[in-house]
Amino acid sequence: MSHKLIDLVHITKSYDSVTILDDLNLYIRENEFLTLLGPSGCGKTTTLRILGGFETPDQGRVIFDGEDITQLPPNKRQLNTVFQKYALFSHMDIAENIAFGLKIKNKSKTYINDKIKYALKLVNLDGFEHRMPDSLSGGQQQRIAIARAIVNEPKVLLLDEPLGALDLKLRYDMQYELIRLKNELGITFIYVTHDQEEALTMSDTIVVMNQGYIQQIGTPEKIYNEPENAFVADFIGDSNILPGIMVEDRLVNILGAKFQCVDEGFGHNTPVDVVIRPEDVDLVKPEEGTIRGVVTHLIFKGVHYEMEVKANNFDWLVHSTDMFPVGTEVGIRVVPFDIQIMNKPLSEDEEAVNIEE
Amino acid sequence: MKQFAKRLYLALIFILLYAPIITLIVLSFNSSKTRSKWGGFTLKWYHSLLENEAIMSAFYTTLVIALLSALAATLIGTAACIGLQAMRKRTRNILLSISNIPMVNAEIVTAVSLMLIFIAVRMTMGFRTILIAHITFNIPYVILSVMPKLRQTKRSAYEAALDLGASPLYAFYRITLPDIMPGVLSGFLLAFTMSLDDFVITHFTKGPGIDTLSTKIYSEVRKGIKPEIYALSTLLFVSVLLLLILVNYQPETEKKTSEEGQVKVYSRAAKIRDTIIRRAVPAIMILVVAAGGIYYSSNGAMNTDNTVIVYNWGEYLDPAVLDLFTEETGIKVIYEEFETNEIMYPKISSGAIAYDVVVPSDYMIQRMIENDMLAEINFDNIPNIKQIGEVYMEESRQFDPENKYSVPYVWGTVGILYNKTMVEEPIDSWSVLWDERYADSILMQDSVRDAFAVALKSLGYSLNSSDLDELTAAKNLLIEQKPLVQAYVVDQVRDKMIGNEAAIGVIYSGEAIYTQRENPDLEYVIPKEGSNVWIDSLVIPKNAQHKENAEKFIDFLCRPDIAYMNFDYITYSTPNTGARELIEDEDIRNSRIAFPTDEMLEGCETYSFLGDETDRTYNELWNQVKSS
Amino acid sequence: MKNNRRLLTGPYLFWSVSFIIIPLLMIIYYGMTSSEGHFTWTNIAAITTPENLKALGLSLLLALLCTVICLILAYPLAMILSSSGMSSSSFIVLLFILPMWMNFLLRTLAWQTLLEKNGVINLVLTAMHLPALNIINTPYAIVLGMVYDFLPFMVLPIYNVLIKLDKDMINAARDLGANGLQTFLKITLPLSMPGIISGITMVFVPALTTFVISDLLGGGKILLIGNVIEQTYKQGSNWHLGSGLSIVLMVFVIASMGIVSKYDKNNEGGTF
Repeated sequence: MSHKLIDLVHITKSYDSVTILDDLNLYIRENEFLTLLGPSGCGKTTTLRILGGFETPDQGRVIFDGEDITQLPPNKRQLNTVFQKYALFSHMDIAENIAFGLKIKNKSKTYINDKIKYALKLVNLDGFEHRMPDSLSGGQQQRIAIARAIVNEPKVLLLDEPLGALDLKLRYDMQYELIRLKNELGITFIYVTHDQEEALTMSDTIVVMNQGYIQQIGTPEKIYNEPENAFVADFIGDSNILPGIMVEDRLVNILGAKFQCVDEGFGHNTPVDVVIRPEDVDLVKPEEGTIRGVVTHLIFKGVHYEMEVKANNFDWLVHSTDMFPVGTEVGIRVVPFDIQIMNKPLSEDEEAVNIEE
Repeated sequence: MKQFAKRLYLALIFILLYAPIITLIVLSFNSSKTRSKWGGFTLKWYHSLLENEAIMSAFYTTLVIALLSALAATLIGTAACIGLQAMRKRTRNILLSISNIPMVNAEIVTAVSLMLIFIAVRMTMGFRTILIAHITFNIPYVILSVMPKLRQTKRSAYEAALDLGASPLYAFYRITLPDIMPGVLSGFLLAFTMSLDDFVITHFTKGPGIDTLSTKIYSEVRKGIKPEIYALSTLLFVSVLLLLILVNYQPETEKKTSEEGQVKVYSRAAKIRDTIIRRAVPAIMILVVAAGGIYYSSNGAMNTDNTVIVYNWGEYLDPAVLDLFTEETGIKVIYEEFETNEIMYPKISSGAIAYDVVVPSDYMIQRMIENDMLAEINFDNIPNIKQIGEVYMEESRQFDPENKYSVPYVWGTVGILYNKTMVEEPIDSWSVLWDERYADSILMQDSVRDAFAVALKSLGYSLNSSDLDELTAAKNLLIEQKPLVQAYVVDQVRDKMIGNEAAIGVIYSGEAIYTQRENPDLEYVIPKEGSNVWIDSLVIPKNAQHKENAEKFIDFLCRPDIAYMNFDYITYSTPNTGARELIEDEDIRNSRIAFPTDEMLEGCETYSFLGDETDRTYNELWNQVKSS
Repeated sequence: MKNNRRLLTGPYLFWSVSFIIIPLLMIIYYGMTSSEGHFTWTNIAAITTPENLKALGLSLLLALLCTVICLILAYPLAMILSSSGMSSSSFIVLLFILPMWMNFLLRTLAWQTLLEKNGVINLVLTAMHLPALNIINTPYAIVLGMVYDFLPFMVLPIYNVLIKLDKDMINAARDLGANGLQTFLKITLPLSMPGIISGITMVFVPALTTFVISDLLGGGKILLIGNVIEQTYKQGSNWHLGSGLSIVLMVFVIASMGIVSKYDKNNEGGTF
């Protein structure tokens, strides 16, 4: 891909002796859709605010296009932000809101008017120039907030949980809208969310954060399929995280049963975490499975059935298009490729979060 | 840097806000009566404050009025809100804007309008009228805080209660009321505070013998600031501080959790605080009011009819005399003070307040007789009249030709009081009041006739002139003088002269002896151009409700021992020959200030009433002087 | 049920009619009649006499001055108090509200004590060999007293608006390129307009109509329209004239509030 646009170097930030970010290093490439994903309090919003210039890091530097902008105030940065609750100026109409940044830059009237038209068209709200923000729905306000930011032609658009306040249906629509916008504008999007599904749908790169540390950086596929630790696995999608012992390369003991897998290099008899996605658990006849269990819960979810199977004293979450009524005895089988082996977490923080969730 | 600037700004405003209050607090412990000197630490002002029955009863009245008016306003206002909620929007908005009128309108207009209605329906000014007035301006504040809460309440909860079988009343009581309670409470508190702090409206709607703290402070301040008032300020400030800290105190832990939006954990301290605010404070308030009510009603109720309402000049009677009178006769005295004849007259003429004994000056008595406002005194009930020197009865015939309506109380002259250390040569003429050297060191009397007397006399005219040219000349002279005048005051001349605030002041002779006692540098002179010699006499208005008591009171004041007691306290010349003989201090008995010789009084005149027309002219001209 | 609830407004309606509406009508009646009961404009026209006009003009001037000073002092104060950077701000806010709870006569009295010729300020100045400050009994002392008495009425509404202001709106403006001053002028100030408006009315009206402050700090030398009305009632006992002047004062109060709210509308593009 293209070159590094933003580089966060050794960023540390704390409030009232609580450390929010601890020695964070991260680079963002040009034209990338990068998502900072994590639970609340993980430091993702603080990272975004440092990028936007609303916070100054205690230590470390922010490099933008080769220049150190750590101390640069927000109004001097070539980034624009779309705020969580839109932050539209309630005393100005839509046109005035959109024109705000352009007027500050003393752009000509015709230029501004063209820009307003263009931006409103881009977000599918033509003709809304003279409405007041209060008269718009949440989704419309959100789009205006985006329009207001992009007319300034920023190199990077920062989005702070922009869809958090919208209802489910609207959220889906806006996800596609955002992807379309990004493609049309051809600029970098840095997106903050705690919604893993949003992250998986839209991003080029996902940064999973927890407790001020980056847990994993990767493409959505990589994050989903190959979580590097139990926290990532647990946070991204539903999964069964089981304690296991790596007997040898390509063989893992889970709950007393031996499963074939594809991972190597964990050594002999090493305790590990094993991640198996619910859709990767195959339910078969009892005698055909690696281990046996009994179905304890069953819910119809539309596309699939969600079941819980008690086997070897563990409740397995299973997604399947086949239905097994509660009480049915079943066998559990997992294809080796679908078994993800992870090292036990090193930091106690990660452990703590795991238990809480 | 920015943080520093912020702090500096906060500090500056803080100083601006607190410097005056700190000053009051410091002065309250100053044993010296003069403000400019520190005489050592003392608590005596607190002591005399707590013993000052007038201030304490004003304090109590303030609390009762505040509590009752806030309660009534809360009831009426809350009920109104609920009713308004059931109305159509248009009607509701019209009614709400009516309720806003007292809040938005100028206070003085509201006050005056209430005074007019009370007088129109012949409601006696007193506790009742103050209470009604306070309820009136409190209702909008209650509506203001209840209405938004009521709008927020979810109708569905109320309907759910009905659905579950509750009666509307029960549903209201259990569901809606708890919901709007914070609004009701804050409305009550707001109303309570507003009532506590009100002055203007009380000033216009109060009657004799009743004062709230504000009106009491106002009349005390007009007489001159007493250290007791500083003590009062300190006590009020400290109690407000304690109350606010109590209400706002939040333990740190509790604050943190609630900020984070988690379940609010009630700590023990918070519970205690809640109990104090919700139960203890109201309970104490009710207790105080009840106790005070019992105390004061037992004081007053027995004698409700056996009273005499006296309307006298400020600082014109020894308070001990009143106690003595009540002790001897069992008649309770309701005592009120005025500053000038001109303030007193409309109160009597409006008839809104039925005073029993009033002490106007000569020309005012003439005016009151001419306007048929005075009752003939039955001198059979005043055997002590013989104590009044014949010469004063003779003088009185100028305004009361048959000696039927008035009994001389005190008399004196108008002259110049000056500070020997602050003037360059002895003073004997009014002209010194126009001397540029004493600019900003001259105090003038803030009353029409006295001010014009000074000007007319220095022009060589009669102080009873009704000639427009002469009066205009006098007016112009007064306007010319105005830049030199430090202040137009009445009773404050005394304090300011004692405190070396001014060099020269126009003052009544009676004050001179008192001020000389306090500040030996002061000297009194009757200017050579002549001045005013006046008599203030006891009269009984026609509408007096307790005429016999009034006569008893007048007779009591004429008793030599009482008249002497009074003279010793107020130091104004007494016409009571018996009393003069009782004066032990020879210097005073023969004082030329208290008892000037005939030569000294040469060229002096007594005011006479000049007719309503001329009176109006005087007032107009005086207004022109004051607003020039 | 609904009708029953409406009956609850009964006492309030009775009260409003008896003690708000009828008294105001009485003022209008008195103001427009002579003492013989004939209709006349003279009481209202009395405002045009030089002395009354002067009192009114001075009142307007001092009230305006007081309002402007209050606004200038209060706005930064409210901003500092509402800024998130302040730790334990609730205590500090309390500290700044506290003086408001003192009886306002006592607060005015305190300034009398401070400003006197031999008052505390002059004692300090003399001790420091500085020239004495002689503003007692001048309009300056009155304005000072007004500012001191009414400042909290300006601070509180502005503070209440600022504290509720969405901090992200400020951030958004900065983000869109506005510098500190531009953000203040285009965002903070217009958005705090409702607070400023209510602050202005809460300061201007009492300042315009006061007679106590001018009485205590003006030494009887300075007559404001409030003093004129008070004296007309209390000393001149001319209720007709007093009512006439009251009507004029009321008109000015209503007019000034009208101007303020109109200005508000123009500025806000009709949002309020």
